[in-house]
Amino acid sequence: MQVHTLQTQHIRKEYPGTIALDDVSVTFEGGKIHGLVGKNGAGKSTLIKILAGTVQPTSGSILLDGREIFLRSAQDAFHQGVATVYQELSLVPSLTVAENILLGRWPQRGLTPISGRLEIGCLSPLRGMLVDWPAVWTRAQAVLDSMHVALDVRRQVGDLGVAQQQIVEIAKAMSFNPSVLMLDEPTSALAQHETENLFQLLRKLAGQGVAIVYITHRLQELPRVADKIMVLRDGRYAGTLEMGQARPEDIVRLMFGEVVQKERPVDLQVGAGTVLEVRQLGRHGKFHGISFELHEGEILGIAGMLGSGRTELLRAIFGADPFDEGEILVAGRSLRRTSPEQMKMLGVAFTPEERKQQALVQSLSIRANLCMSSMNRIARYGVLTRIRERASIRGLVEELAIRIPDLEMPVSSLSGGNQQKVVVGKWLSTQPKVILLDEPTRGIDVQAKQQVFQILWDLSRRGIGSLVVSSELEELLEVCHRVLIMKKGALAGEVRPHELPADELYVRCMEA
Amino acid sequence: MNDRGGIAPYPGMLSWLRQSVMELVLMVLCTVLAFNAEGFFTRENLLNVLRNVSMQGIIAFGMTMVIIAGEIDLSVGSAVAFSGCLTAWLTGFLSGPGGGLPMPLAVTLAIAASLGAGGAIGCLTGWLRTRFRVPTFITTLAWLTVLKGASELITNGFSLTPFPRWYNFVGGGYVAGIPFPAIVFVLIFVLSHFVMNYTPFGRSVYAVGGNAEAARLSGINVSRVKILVMGSVALLAALSGVMQSSQIMSGNFTTGTGWELDVISAVIIGGTSLMGGAGTVWGTLIGVIFLGVLVNGMTLLNISEYWQHVVRGGLILIAVLLNLAPSERK
Repeated sequence: MQVHTLQTQHIRKEYPGTIALDDVSVTFEGGKIHGLVGKNGAGKSTLIKILAGTVQPTSGSILLDGREIFLRSAQDAFHQGVATVYQELSLVPSLTVAENILLGRWPQRGLTPISGRLEIGCLSPLRGMLVDWPAVWTRAQAVLDSMHVALDVRRQVGDLGVAQQQIVEIAKAMSFNPSVLMLDEPTSALAQHETENLFQLLRKLAGQGVAIVYITHRLQELPRVADKIMVLRDGRYAGTLEMGQARPEDIVRLMFGEVVQKERPVDLQVGAGTVLEVRQLGRHGKFHGISFELHEGEILGIAGMLGSGRTELLRAIFGADPFDEGEILVAGRSLRRTSPEQMKMLGVAFTPEERKQQALVQSLSIRANLCMSSMNRIARYGVLTRIRERASIRGLVEELAIRIPDLEMPVSSLSGGNQQKVVVGKWLSTQPKVILLDEPTRGIDVQAKQQVFQILWDLSRRGIGSLVVSSELEELLEVCHRVLIMKKGALAGEVRPHELPADELYVRCMEA
Repeated sequence: MNDRGGIAPYPGMLSWLRQSVMELVLMVLCTVLAFNAEGFFTRENLLNVLRNVSMQGIIAFGMTMVIIAGEIDLSVGSAVAFSGCLTAWLTGFLSGPGGGLPMPLAVTLAIAASLGAGGAIGCLTGWLRTRFRVPTFITTLAWLTVLKGASELITNGFSLTPFPRWYNFVGGGYVAGIPFPAIVFVLIFVLSHFVMNYTPFGRSVYAVGGNAEAARLSGINVSRVKILVMGSVALLAALSGVMQSSQIMSGNFTTGTGWELDVISAVIIGGTSLMGGAGTVWGTLIGVIFLGVLVNGMTLLNISEYWQHVVRGGLILIAVLLNLAPSERK
């Protein structure tokens, strides 16, 4: 049994404006399961991408068994022995288990009679053009057998449940005979018993000498599967804990470090009036029984883990998705069904999570994007001219400090932070009473984040109510008046920022 | 001046040249033909070209909006035939023993009904797209055959000729020396240009074509936009059908055959992207004129019809390559 070691030495990754990883040197040993944890923005995904070959480090090296290796692409990484299983499975549902396990590497044979012995000379150029089906079944079966998994190789992957599909994905990775197997949030879609099966499988694979790296947000799972826990914080390696000695508080302390509570400006008052109320709102399979009130000038945060239903809730409130039960009260109206168009007219704004795909029309200019929600307001007698558009957004551009030389440039040329300001600006010109923000600081650099906070505080001063969904718990505590906690589609509590530091909030967000 | 959907031009002379390629090519073509083609540069010929391009050009402006919105209409040719045949049949019926109406009233009602039917069919296509997600490619492909069949049914395979003498004015008449269809063509151009560049609706069309989901989440009523653009192109096709029936003074099911290809070609040559989200009405105007001048020139130069087809097809390919943004060229 070969035991391998994967080491990173002084890995550094810089992006324009941020340092994602700074001097990260870690060792993953064959035969052990390493849990890799860290809060959002700690650099976990970046490190995984580097080890998976999809991103190149700015500096630093990767060593496999003491020898330096270069992972030039995802394919390259697989072939060199580093296999990755992502949260989003990359299987072809219409093909069988065996075909998926050997995807793109199906054994081939030439154009020969079934016996396989005779070869007709003039047909030998056709060698290797056909798939050798018996070999496909056999080889795939062999991979599954080595994993001690019972699964029919001839079944269509599309017919399998999520847990089984994940096993196929792992089998695909294992068919490369890797030294290292990395799994990114593997249990997010699994039920309890399926998770247990997965853990057993991983222990078996570790027993075969593979180094397993297991990335997760679910700290409570780690005692059941991991041998060691490695923590990243702010792009740096924060420490390793042996499983036997680690308590959840220790892990969280390593993840968050010294928690410094920043001060919200003192002049932010919450008004008495309610600008938005939600009663028993529910959508099958996503969230249920959600009730809360948003007051004038209040910044209300919603904290929760991935999959807790926060984005779905926001989209339902805005009318982007339908909801099945409950009602929304806004601008004196009670609504059981609504649409983005209607919500806009009632003074509600929404900045979606996926900036590029959902919030901006990339092919249009900055000016066109900034005016997109308020065109009717800007037009006079139905006529919309560039001059009027530019005049109406000039104040906005200054106010939001969107730094661009030319408003006619395509919005795709802006940085993430400036794009986010365009999205917020687009909605500010509709003069909303309520603004729903889904992950407003995702993917933007530190400076732009501070500017977004300033914008939120200004909105509060103007009496606009903000509902902020964010995975960055410290930011919620810094910015908001109140924070709601959402777990598995339901509201699980409410906190005031001064009551709770970020690490305790994190623990409360974790699912039981 | 040219807002290709809001995409900023590069600064400088070179960029202006790159942006105005089609206009330059058209000028060059006209110059070449003026010197080499017998009878090209005469008033009579040029007015003829204008009249010919008007029929298809009107539809092309509607098609521009449709393609910018990310959709397509393959049935415009059949819609032309259907509209003409319906107008002819209704005129005959309403002014005949069945209806007993005076001719001017019969004609007016017939035209109104044809335009209404055309617009309604287009709106239906748009509705099917937004309500049931049926691609407009599929629906209009179906209409292509259905409307052609309907035209054959209405006319029973014959050419219907119920029209009075004065009806010819719409398609064949002149106003101050300019063919009436050309006047309609210019009017529709001005209207389309205005709507696309100076109204919220026009801006919404670009937004919907560029990113329908982002447009929806910005509060734009995407359904309404799609239904209206599909209705508009169908309405313009019906209008063209009426004018065509006036020109040939009959309702004939063979009119408009293959027009969808010419119309779409003109729109593409004019710089509109089939992906949606970009393109201009002015570009389509140039594309329409360019194709018209080219066909006219080739005919005057006695180039065989078959070669003409080859040339027209090749042009679309060249036009698409020329109009690709640098980032798309690999």
